[in-house]
Amino acid sequence: MKSTVWRTVRAVREHTYLAVVSTGVITAALVLVGMFAMVTTNVRLVLGSWERDVHVSAYLRPGGSADAHTAVMQMLQSRPEVAAVKYVSEAEARAWMVERTPELAPVLDELGGDALPASLEITLRDGHTTPEALAAFVGSIREVGSFDDVDYGQEWVTRVDTFLSVLSALGVALGSFIGIAALFLVANTIHLVVYARRDELEIMRLVGATDRYILAPFVLEGAAQGAAAATLANALLWAAHRGLLSRLQEVLALALGGEGLRYLPWWGVGAMYAAGMVLGVGASWGAVRRFLGRLP
Amino acid sequence: MIRLYHVVKSYGEHDALHDVSLTIDKGEFVYVTGPSGAGKSTLLKLLYGAERPTSGKLLVGGVDVAAIPQHRLPQLRRNVGIVFQDFKLLPRRTVGANVALALEVVGAPAEQIRRRVPAVLNIVGLKEREDSLAGELSGGEQQRVAIARAIVNDPAVLFADEPTGNLDGGMAVEVMEILQAINLRGTTVLVATHDQGLMDRFPHRRVRFVGGRLVQTSARARA
Ligand SMILES: Nc1ncnc2c1ncn2[C@@H]1O[C@H](COP(=O)(O)OP(=O)(O)OP(=O)(O)O)[C@@H](O)[C@H]1O
Ligand SMILES: [Mg+2]
Repeated sequence: MKSTVWRTVRAVREHTYLAVVSTGVITAALVLVGMFAMVTTNVRLVLGSWERDVHVSAYLRPGGSADAHTAVMQMLQSRPEVAAVKYVSEAEARAWMVERTPELAPVLDELGGDALPASLEITLRDGHTTPEALAAFVGSIREVGSFDDVDYGQEWVTRVDTFLSVLSALGVALGSFIGIAALFLVANTIHLVVYARRDELEIMRLVGATDRYILAPFVLEGAAQGAAAATLANALLWAAHRGLLSRLQEVLALALGGEGLRYLPWWGVGAMYAAGMVLGVGASWGAVRRFLGRLP
Repeated sequence: MIRLYHVVKSYGEHDALHDVSLTIDKGEFVYVTGPSGAGKSTLLKLLYGAERPTSGKLLVGGVDVAAIPQHRLPQLRRNVGIVFQDFKLLPRRTVGANVALALEVVGAPAEQIRRRVPAVLNIVGLKEREDSLAGELSGGEQQRVAIARAIVNDPAVLFADEPTGNLDGGMAVEVMEILQAINLRGTTVLVATHDQGLMDRFPHRRVRFVGGRLVQTSARARA
């Protein structure tokens, strides 16, 4: 029996143009979705770094002993939300302030040694930086009683959080739209491609081919086209990624804090292959089944 | 070989076939004739399972075609040969590949395909054209390729719907001679046609339809 592989190769040779069109359209769909995913990934990284920047400054009541400070730090460190606690002495606080605003140096001298209190800079773990979690955390450490004041840039946090939820909703909407558009594009094109081969389907049916026999090479071809399209789409996206990287180096360095523009993660690349093959196989299968359903 | 009991085929209100009962024996050559719209093609479609009767019973080689489940249809198609007015070949494949297709789908081994294809092409007088592209052949030659494909699996019965409809005189005669030769080898042959000249030249039993009704059936007759 002529193997499915052999019949698939024959089909591609007989209908090279159609195979190229199908592969091209799957590639276009994947590039579309992949580009969106890449942009989303990078935007998320930037925004994530903003969120991660949130930290809580707890100003220590003056006059506490070093032992007392250590005890408070240990207590904070043992809490699950806390990633790190850093002690900033009065001198360090002053040095930081003077470095930023040198004109302030004489004023600070005037005010004396304890104008800027010592503080604990608390960095929180990811997932504990929502406005609600922050408020709860800050409330609980206020009760400890070792601090004059606890400050966490409340407005900023709330604003970033709102911005992120709007952006994420937009992302989901746009992503779904792009995904559905890509799906339609591929399904309709492959429907036309199969339509161009309808005589072949009809003749196979007439001479007694089973549906499975007719479908097999279409399925295999769809899988191969999907894989080829994923490879092509990755090559194109990678080229785009490199191009953007070299052209927008400085801007990106600023926005992404030196991390640079990221490519899709490894599982994103894997997902492109999976999506390409599912698209190729699914669209061919669906189209052939539809035609077979109508044939005598 | 073929038996119809009170077969009705309706399309909506309209009966394409109306209460048809008919028996065709093994090895017969039968013309299905009648004016356009008489129901000739409909009868053949019912017999090779492209359409289902609205009521009645059809047996082809002992198989109840009306009741055959969809997934068993390929089995039926492998035991009947079908020839159409428009040949239904793949024009960009060779003559040999077109004939081989019918063997490929039944899973025939390569060796058998190599042996069988030239043999049937020889029967239809196209042995020399095995490697030509089907689309480059004349209409008459293409119809002979279609016949070769139809008989390559040695079917018990051959259905031909206006096989000479697209062919002029000389080519039509060649095709009829081939169909007759196939019939002489034992295959039951049903030819739907309204070509009076050909039926007179190659006389066989005729079953005549008008408006979906079987109006006349002549006795078995041989030239
Ligand atoms: N799929 C269909 N839907 C509706 N009506 C149909 C269908 N197929 C056939 N008919 C009708 O059934 C009747 C018989 O058609 P059929 O094709 O069997 O005629 P025929 O004898 O083969 O005619 P011709 O010589 O023109 O080929 C016609 O009136 C036709 O319009
Ligand atoms: Mg007809």
